[in-house]
Amino acid sequence: MSIEKDPDQIHIAPEMAIAEADVRSEEAGEFVRGSSLWRDAWRRLLKNKLAVFGLIVVVIVTIASVLGPTVIKAVFGFTPDYIPTQIKLNRSYPPFTGPDGEFSWLHPMGTDNAGRDQLARVLQGGQISLFVGVIATLVSLLIGVTYGAIAGYVGGRFDNMMMRIVDVMYSLPYVIVVIVLLSLFRSQTPRGQLILLFVALGSTSWLTMARIVRGQVLSLKNQEFVLAARATGVSGTRIIFRHLVPNTLGPVIVYATLTIPQIMLTEAFLSFLGFGVQAPLASWGSLASDGIQSIGIFPWQLICPGVTMALTLFSLNFLGDGLRDALDPQMRTV
Amino acid sequence: MSSGKFRQIVGLVVLASLALSTYSCTVVSSNEEFFGSTTPPKQNIFRYVNGDEPQSLDPAMGNGQPEARLYMALYEGLVEYNPKTLAPEPALAERWHINNDSSEFTFHLRQNGRWSNGDPIDANDFVYSFRRALAKETASPNAYLAFYLRNAKAYNQEEVFVRDPHSGQFLLARDFVDDLPPDPISATPIDPAKPEYLPDPNEPKSDPDTAFHQQMHTPLRLTLPGDEKARAKRIDANPKLKAAVAGKEFVPVKAEDLGIETVDQYTVRLYMGQQAPFFLGLLAHQVFRLVPRQVVEQYGSAWTQPEHIVTCGPFRLKTWIPYDKLVLERDPMYWDAAAVKLDEIYFYPITDQTTTMNMYKVGELDAVYNHAVPNPWLHVMRSKRDYMDAVEAGIDYLIMNTTKPPLDNVKVRKAFNLAINKQAWAEWRRIVKPLTAFTPEGMFPGYPQPQGAEFNSAEARRLLGEAGYPVTQNADGSFSCSKFPVGQVEFIYNTQGSNKAVAEWMQAQWKQNLGITVGLRNMEWKTFLDARAKLEYKGFARGAWGADYMDPFTFLSLFYIGGENGTGWVDAKYIAMLDEANRTLDHKKRYELLAKAEAYMLDAQPVIPIATASVNWVKKPYVKGMYPNPASLYPWKYIYIERDQAKWDYSTPKLTAD
Amino acid sequence: MLRFIVRRLLVTIPTILVVISLTWVLIKLAPGNFYSGEKQLPAAIEKNIREKYGLDKPWYQQYGKTMWNIVRHFDFGSSLRYEGQSVNTIIRNSLPVSAAIGLLAYLLAVLVGVTAGSIAALKQNTAWDYGSMALAMLGISVPNFVLGPILVLIFSLTLYWLPPSRWAGFPSWNLVLPVLTLSALQMAYIARLTRAGMLEVLRSDYIRTARAKGLSERDVMLKHALRGGLMPVISYTGPALAFLLTGTVVVEKIFALPGLGNYFIQASLNRDEPLIIGIVAFIAIALLLLNLLVDIAYAYLDPRVRYQ
Repeated sequence: MSIEKDPDQIHIAPEMAIAEADVRSEEAGEFVRGSSLWRDAWRRLLKNKLAVFGLIVVVIVTIASVLGPTVIKAVFGFTPDYIPTQIKLNRSYPPFTGPDGEFSWLHPMGTDNAGRDQLARVLQGGQISLFVGVIATLVSLLIGVTYGAIAGYVGGRFDNMMMRIVDVMYSLPYVIVVIVLLSLFRSQTPRGQLILLFVALGSTSWLTMARIVRGQVLSLKNQEFVLAARATGVSGTRIIFRHLVPNTLGPVIVYATLTIPQIMLTEAFLSFLGFGVQAPLASWGSLASDGIQSIGIFPWQLICPGVTMALTLFSLNFLGDGLRDALDPQMRTV
Repeated sequence: MSSGKFRQIVGLVVLASLALSTYSCTVVSSNEEFFGSTTPPKQNIFRYVNGDEPQSLDPAMGNGQPEARLYMALYEGLVEYNPKTLAPEPALAERWHINNDSSEFTFHLRQNGRWSNGDPIDANDFVYSFRRALAKETASPNAYLAFYLRNAKAYNQEEVFVRDPHSGQFLLARDFVDDLPPDPISATPIDPAKPEYLPDPNEPKSDPDTAFHQQMHTPLRLTLPGDEKARAKRIDANPKLKAAVAGKEFVPVKAEDLGIETVDQYTVRLYMGQQAPFFLGLLAHQVFRLVPRQVVEQYGSAWTQPEHIVTCGPFRLKTWIPYDKLVLERDPMYWDAAAVKLDEIYFYPITDQTTTMNMYKVGELDAVYNHAVPNPWLHVMRSKRDYMDAVEAGIDYLIMNTTKPPLDNVKVRKAFNLAINKQAWAEWRRIVKPLTAFTPEGMFPGYPQPQGAEFNSAEARRLLGEAGYPVTQNADGSFSCSKFPVGQVEFIYNTQGSNKAVAEWMQAQWKQNLGITVGLRNMEWKTFLDARAKLEYKGFARGAWGADYMDPFTFLSLFYIGGENGTGWVDAKYIAMLDEANRTLDHKKRYELLAKAEAYMLDAQPVIPIATASVNWVKKPYVKGMYPNPASLYPWKYIYIERDQAKWDYSTPKLTAD
Repeated sequence: MLRFIVRRLLVTIPTILVVISLTWVLIKLAPGNFYSGEKQLPAAIEKNIREKYGLDKPWYQQYGKTMWNIVRHFDFGSSLRYEGQSVNTIIRNSLPVSAAIGLLAYLLAVLVGVTAGSIAALKQNTAWDYGSMALAMLGISVPNFVLGPILVLIFSLTLYWLPPSRWAGFPSWNLVLPVLTLSALQMAYIARLTRAGMLEVLRSDYIRTARAKGLSERDVMLKHALRGGLMPVISYTGPALAFLLTGTVVVEKIFALPGLGNYFIQASLNRDEPLIIGIVAFIAIALLLLNLLVDIAYAYLDPRVRYQ
C-alpha cells in the first residue's frame, strides 16, 4: 500500500469521517453500480438499529417542530410569543409546574422569564434550526457539486488550480470570516437575515463536497458511458450534469446528511454569539444564549433547548453513519 | 450492529436526558434558605462586586455609586454616615456645635488624625480641600452640594462682587435680588446680647472671635456674573442695578471669600448662606472629604496613581489592576485603626448581572452591589434569607408642565393622578413600592408623612368633568372624553431601555380609566433634558430623584427657590413654609412643618408620584455590620466576618437601633 | 523537503495579504461605522472624527496606508473603540489567555482521545468499546455552549467545587471548566479517529508480519499500531485547530475570559476596523504556520509520505 500523499485524492475530511480515517481511501472512488443499489441500501439501513433509532427521532423532531406550535396553539391556546397578561404568570416556572408550585400539564418545559411556554419556543426554534440546516446544506451542496464536477471534468491545470484554492481555503478560519460578514452586513428584516445565513453557512461546508465530487468525477470520467457520450457529441455541460453528477449521488447524500448537523451546530453557535438568527425569530442557539443568563436559578431554560438540540444532532449523526454504511459498504466502519 | 451495543447506547442517552431533567426540577424545589454557599472566606477579607470600573480615585471628581463606595473606604471627612441610619457621626471631627438657625457650624477636630503616609491632619487640610472642591478648575460634578456655604456658588461660578472704590463698601444682595431666602443669623452683625450658639456643656466659653468671623457676620454681598457679556445683560435689565453699579469696580470672588475658616489648628468653622439644618448630614458626602494638599500640588491630576496616592480613610490602596480588581488594605495610620475589623477588601468591576450572581452563589463574593439581582429572579430571590429588602432613597414620578393648558388647571392634574393605579405599577416593576406622597415611605423615621391621593378612577373622572371635560362611558365599558384637548398634551420620554414600555403603560392607564389617549413622543437624551428644564414640552414627562442626604428637604427642595423640577410650579407660601421649617430647632417640630409643606405641595399636584424603589441586593449571612440603608452606602470600617453561625444574619438586618 | 517548506511559505504570504485585503474590503463595503451609536452625531463632529482617523481620504490611499503599515512595520494601528490601545498590545495581552485554554484543551483531547480510542480498538466489541464510542458520539452532538453551562451548573453552582467564570491567571482552578468544555468535541473526534486508524492498521499485513517475527505484543502495539492510529490524528490537527478557534470564541463568552475570541467578537460588533484586521491576520498566519508544522510532522512520522 504505497501511496504518496496526493492532496487531490479523495479525502473525506477527518472531521466528517466520524468513525473512520478515510484519509487515504482510494477505494472511495469506486461505487457499486446496479439498479438495486437503493433497495439494497435501504435494507442495510434498516438492519442498523442505531440508524433506525436516529431516523425515528429525527422524524419525530421534525414533525414536532413543524406541527408542534400549531398543535399547542390549538390545544392550550398559546403561541410561542404569547406573554400572559396576568403579572403572576410573567415569570419562569419549572417544567410541569404551575404558578403555585402544583403539578400542571400546561408547561412540560416550563416557561421563560416573560412567561412564554418553553415547549412552544423550543419547537419553533427547531423549525428555524432545521430549516436553516437543510437549506444551507442544499446551498453548500449546490456550490460544492458544481465546483467539484467542473474541476474534475475539465482536469489538468485548471483542476489543479481550483483544488489549490480549496486547499488554501481549507486551512483558513472560515468561520471567522463568516462572523465578520454577518456582523457587517446585518439585515434589517428577519427574512433577510435568514437568507444571509443560508449563504454564509452554506459557504462554510462546500469544500469537502467539492473534493468528494471531484474525486468521483475523476474516476468516472474515463468510463465507457462517458466516452460514448462524448463520442456522440454531447456537450460538456450535459455530460457533467446529466451523466456524471447523478452517479456521484451516493457519497453526496451521505455527506449531505452529515453536513446538516454540522451546519446546525454552526448556526446555533452563531446565534448564540448574536450573529445568527435575530429576534423575534428564535433558534436553538439563541434560546440557549438566553437560557444561560439564568442558569444559576432556572436551569431548565438552558437544559430544555440544549438537550433537544443534542438529541436531534445525536440522531442525525447516527442516521448519517447508518446511511454511509448502507450506501457504500466499502466506506464501512469497522 | 449488535443489539447489545444499540441497547447500551440508547440506555445511556435516555438516562442522561432523564437525569438532567429531574435535576433541573430538583434544583428549584431544594428550597435552600440562602442563595448559594455560605462558607465564609478563610482570611479576614471582604469580596464585593462594585459595578463599573471607577473613573477616578479623586473624591471630588467621581460621580457614580461605584466611586462613592470606594471613597468611603479611602477618605474621611468631618463626619461619617451611621451604617444603619446614615445620620452624621463624628469622624475627623470629635464634636461640634451649631448656632441657633443652623447657619454656622464649628467643628473641633481630633488631634490624632493621620494621612496614610503618617502626616498629621489639621484644620488647614479642610480649608484646602473645600476650596479645591469648589474651585472652577477642579470642575467637580458634586460642587453644587456645597453651594449652601457662603459665597460658594459665587466662587465656583467665578462671579464678582461690586465695590465702591472710595468707601470700600460692597453692594448688598438683599437690595437688588428679590427671591432670596431670608437672612440667616450669621448674615447679621454679631450681637453679644443674643446667644448665637446652643449652650454646649463641653464648651464653657464661646469660640474665639476673629476678623473673618466678623466679616462673615455682615449681610450677603451682591454677586454678578464674571463673564462680561452676561454681566452687562444682567445690569441692563435692571435700571436700579445699573444706576448703583455706575462708578463701582468689580472684585472677583476668591477662595478666601468662601465661608470656611480655621479658627485654630484643630478648629474649623463653616458659614452658610442660608439656614441649612440638614447640612451636617450632607457633610459626609465624598465631595467634603479630604485630599492631601502636598500630593495634589506636586503631581496634579496624576496624584491618584497608585505610586503617588495618599489617603486618610480606614483603608488604603494596595493593588489596582484595571478591569480586574482593586484591593484595599487596612491603613495602620488611620486614627481608629483598632476598630477596623477587615484586613482587606476586594472590589471587582463586573457589570454583568449573571456573572455577579453566579460568583455570589459559588461563594466567591460576600455581597453584591445594589440592583445586581436581575428582575426576573425576584420571585425566587425574595424568599431567600440573604436577600435585602428595604426602602431605597429615591422616588419616581411624572412631572407636568403646569404653565400650559389644560394642565394649568389643578383639577385636571389631580384627575390624571387619580387615574394611575400605582399598586399595579409596583407589581409590574416588582422592586418598587407604590408612592402617593413625595418622600419615600418609611425612609425618615419619625417623619409624619402625608398620605397623598390613592388610586380612584371614579373620582378622577368626576374631577375631569368638573374641570370642563366630561367623561362618558361607552357600551363596552370603556370611556371616552371627547372634549379633552388631546392635541395639547403628550408624554415625552428618552429613547433608552424600558422607557418606551413605561410610557406605554401610563398611556394605557389613562386610556383605560379616563378614555384619553395621550400621545407619546420619544427624544434623544440631551433634547429630553433640555425640554424638561426649559419647560418646552406639553403634558407629561418622567422624573426621578435620589436623595443627596437623609432629610426630607432633599426631596422637598426640588420646589424651593432654584429647584429644577421641570413643572414651572412655584408657590411663595410653600417656600415660606419650608423656610419656617428650616428655622426651627426642634427636630420633631421641624418634621411636622416639613410634612405640612409636603401636604400643601401634594394638594397643588404639580407632579404625579408613582413609586419609591426598594434596594435589591444580597449578602452572605456571615457578613455583619453592613446594613441595607436607603442610600446603599456602607462605612467599611464597621463590616466584619462573623464566624459563629449562631450570630449570623438570618433575615434583613433591622435599621432601627435595638 | 526543504523545497516543499519554502514553497509553502511562499504561498502563505500572498494568502495572508489576500485575506487582509478581503477583510478590509468587506469592512469598507459594509454599512455603518464604528462611531455611530444610538444618536445621530452633528455633522461637524462627524467630520472631525473622520478626519482624525483618516476616513475622509480616498479609498486607495486608505488601503495603501493600511497595507504599508502592516507590511513594513507589522503595525496594525490602534483600536478605534478602546482609546489609545494599539492592536498589537491588545493581541499580545489577550493571546496568552486564548492560547493557554486552547493548547491545554488540545493536549487533553489528544491524551484522552488517543488513549480511549486505542483501548477501544484493542478491546473491540466489548463494553469498553461501545461505551466510549457512545460517549464520543455524545461529545460530538452536544454543542459546547450547552455543555459548558451544564458543567458550570453541576461543578460550580451546585457542588461549589470550581469557579464559574473569569480569568485568574495561569495556573488556577478557573482553567478547568473552560478547558473541559473546549476539549470535549476534539476528544470525541480524536477518539474515533484513533480507533478507526488503529483498527485499520491492526488488520494490515505488516502487523501480522511483526507478530510473526516474534515481537512482543507491547512492541507491536507501541511501535507499529499506535503509529498507525496516530496518523489520522495528526493529519486532523489542522482542522482541529480551526475548530478550537471557533470553540474558544464561545467558551470565552460563556466564562467571561479576556481572550482573543472575546475581543474579536467585540471588534466585529463595534466595527473596529484595525482590530478586526489585526486579529484576522494574526489568526490566518498562526493557522497557516501551524498547518505547515503539522504537514512536516506528518512527513516525519510516515515514511511513506513524500513531498515534491
